Amino acid sequence: MTIERILIFLLFLVGFSAIVGAKNIIKKVFGLNLINSSVVLLFILEGSRIGSQAPIIGEGVTDIVDPIPQALMLTAIVIGVCVTALALALSVRLYKATNSLEIDTIQERLKGEH
Amino acid sequence: MELSTARTLFLSPIYLPLLGAALILLSRSFFPIRITKVFEYLGILIGLIIPLVLIFQLVPILSEQGSIEGIIGSYESGIGISYRFDGLSLLLILLADIITFPAWIFSRTEGPKQGSFTALLLIQNASIAAISMTNDLFNLFVCLEIMGVAAYVLIAEGKATKAAYAAYSYLMASSSAMVFFLLGTFVLYRLTGSLNYEIISQKLTMLDDQNKILVQIALLLIIVPILLRVAVMPLSLWLVDAHSKAPHAVSALLSGVLLKVPLFALIRVFALSPLTHAYALPISYAGAATALIGVLFALAQSDAKKLLAYHSISQIGYIVSAWALSLHIGLDTKAGALLLVASFFHAFSHALFKALLFMTVGKATDAGKTRDVYRLRGANKALKQLGERSPLTMISFFVGALSISAIPPFNGYYSKILLTYSMKGSLQYTLLTIAAAGTVASFIKIGRIFLPQKDKKAVLVPEEEKKQNFTGVHISYLLLALACIATGIFSAKLLPFVVNLLGVYTSTNFGSAFFFSSSNLIKSAITVGAGILVFIIAILKPGQWVLHHIARFEGSFVDLFLGFALAIGALAYFII
Repeated sequence: MTIERILIFLLFLVGFSAIVGAKNIIKKVFGLNLINSSVVLLFILEGSRIGSQAPIIGEGVTDIVDPIPQALMLTAIVIGVCVTALALALSVRLYKATNSLEIDTIQERLKGEH
Repeated sequence: MELSTARTLFLSPIYLPLLGAALILLSRSFFPIRITKVFEYLGILIGLIIPLVLIFQLVPILSEQGSIEGIIGSYESGIGISYRFDGLSLLLILLADIITFPAWIFSRTEGPKQGSFTALLLIQNASIAAISMTNDLFNLFVCLEIMGVAAYVLIAEGKATKAAYAAYSYLMASSSAMVFFLLGTFVLYRLTGSLNYEIISQKLTMLDDQNKILVQIALLLIIVPILLRVAVMPLSLWLVDAHSKAPHAVSALLSGVLLKVPLFALIRVFALSPLTHAYALPISYAGAATALIGVLFALAQSDAKKLLAYHSISQIGYIVSAWALSLHIGLDTKAGALLLVASFFHAFSHALFKALLFMTVGKATDAGKTRDVYRLRGANKALKQLGERSPLTMISFFVGALSISAIPPFNGYYSKILLTYSMKGSLQYTLLTIAAAGTVASFIKIGRIFLPQKDKKAVLVPEEEKKQNFTGVHISYLLLALACIATGIFSAKLLPFVVNLLGVYTSTNFGSAFFFSSSNLIKSAITVGAGILVFIIAILKPGQWVLHHIARFEGSFVDLFLGFALAIGALAYFII
C-alpha cells in the first residue's frame, strides 16, 4: 500500500530533478514525461481503490470501481503526448540553430541574437 | 428566445471556431493556396464573428436568470461535463474576439501568413471560450493545456531562434506546473467524489477539520499554476522572451488576452471554498509589487519590444492586485464589487492599448531595422519610405502611449482612476501610484523613436526598399485606436453593462463627475510631472548606472522553477 505511494513519489522526484537539474534539453523533456506518468499512476492506483468490481454494469455487480479517474487519465496522457511532441520539435529547432543540446550553451549562443 | 435554443447557442463560441479551424486545415491539405486564402476568411467569419453575434442574443436571458447551464453530449448530470455560461464568460469571449480580429488583420500583411496561423488563432479562441464557461475542474485543466499548446506554437512562429527558446522554456515551466494542478484536482476529487465546481463546494463545507489542511494544499496546487499563466511575480520570468520574440500580432494577443483569461477563470476556483480567502491578500500584495518591479525593469530595457513585455507584467500587476483585493474584501460588498469591475475594465483597456502598442512599435522597429530605443530615431521617416502615406503608425502609437500613461480622455485614465478609487489608503495604492509615474517615464523613453534624426550616427534607412501595402495594418490600428478612445469616452454607458454582466451590485454613478473630480485631475497631473522627473533621473549618470545593472538581469531556465517554488512557499507560509 504505502510502498507503491513511495515509489510513485520517487518517480516524481526523479522526473522533477531531471527538468530542473539536467542540462540536456531532451532529458528535460523526459523529466516532464516522468512527472506526468507519476501523476497518471497515482490517479489509477488511488482510483482503483474506490469500489472493488470491474466497472461493467451487469447482474449482481454492485460495488464497481470508480471509472472516472481512468477516463481522466486517458485525456491527460493524450495531452502529455502532444506537449512532448511539441517540446521535441522545439528542441530540434534549437539544436539546428545553435548546434548544441545543453541549455546553458544554447542560452549563451542566443544572447547575441536580436 | 427558447431556453433549449439558448442551450445550443451558448456553446457556439467553442464549436464554431473549431469548425472554422478544421475547414482551413482541410482546405490547406487538398486545395491550392489561393482557395485556402478564401477559406481563411470564411474561417474567421464562422469562428470569430458569427459566435459573437450569437452570444449577444443571449444577453436578455442572462440578465433575467444569471446563467445558462448545459451538459456536453446530453449526458446525465453528474456524469457529463457541465458548462455554465454567465456574464463573465460573455465578457471574456468578447475580449478575446475584439483583440484577435485586429491581430489577424495585422498578420495578413505582416505575417505569419500561413493558413495554419489562422487555424491556431481559432483553436485558441475556442479554448478561451471553453475556459470561461467550464464548470468542471478537470475540463479546466484540459482547456488550459489546449490554450497553452496553441500559445507555444504561436510564440515559436517568431523568426528568431530565441522565439523557439522562449516557447521551450514557457512549455516546460507551464506544463510542469500543470502537473501540480492535476495533483490538486486529484486531492479534491478524492475528498469530494466530484469534479463539478458546485458539488465540490457543497461537499467541502461538510468536511471535518482534519481534512481542511489537505484542501488548503490542494487549492494552493491549483491556484499557483494558473497564476503562472497570469505571470504575477515571481512567476513571470517566462513572459519577457515569449512576448518580445513572438511575431507582433501574437505579442498583441499574448499580452492582451492570454494573461487575463486564466485570471478571471480563477474567480470560480476561488468560489470553491471559503478557505481560499486566505490567499487573496498575499496575491494582492504580489500584484502591486509586480506592477512596480515590472515598470522598473521596463525603464531599464533598450529593446523596444522587451520594454513593452515588461509593461505587460507591470499592468497585469495592477489588474491582479485589484482582482485579489476584491476577493479579499468580498464580492458582495460595495468596494469589492467596484474593484472587480475595475480590474476587468482595466484588463479590457489594457488589452486594447497594449495590442495597439505592440503592433505600432513592432511595425516601426521593423521599418527602422533596429529594436534599440537608444539608436532608433526617425521611425516615422523610415515608415514613409516604405510607402506609408499618412503617419498613422505614429498617431496610433501615441494614442496607445497616452492611454497606458492614463491621460484623459483615453481609456487608461478611466480604468486606472476606477481601479485606484477603492484602494485609497492601502499599501497597494502607494505602490501602484509610484508605478504609474514609471509608466509615464518609460513611454517618454520609447516615444523618442519617432523623434527626427539629428546626428549622422543614428541608423540610416536605405532609400531603395520595396514599397509595402499599409491598408490592412492601418485598419487594425484604427480599430484598436478608436476602441481605446471610445471605451474611455463612453465608459459611463459601458460600465453599468459590465456591472450587470458580472452579476455584482454597485450603486456608484460612473458619470464624468466621478472621473473628472478635481482630486483625480490633480493626481493625474502630478503623476505626469513625476513621470517626467523619473525620466530625467533615468537619463542622468546615477540613474543610468542603476538601470544598466537592472537591464543585465536575465533569468535562466532554473530560475523559472525557483520562482514557482518561491510562489508556492510564500503562499503556504501565509496560510500557516
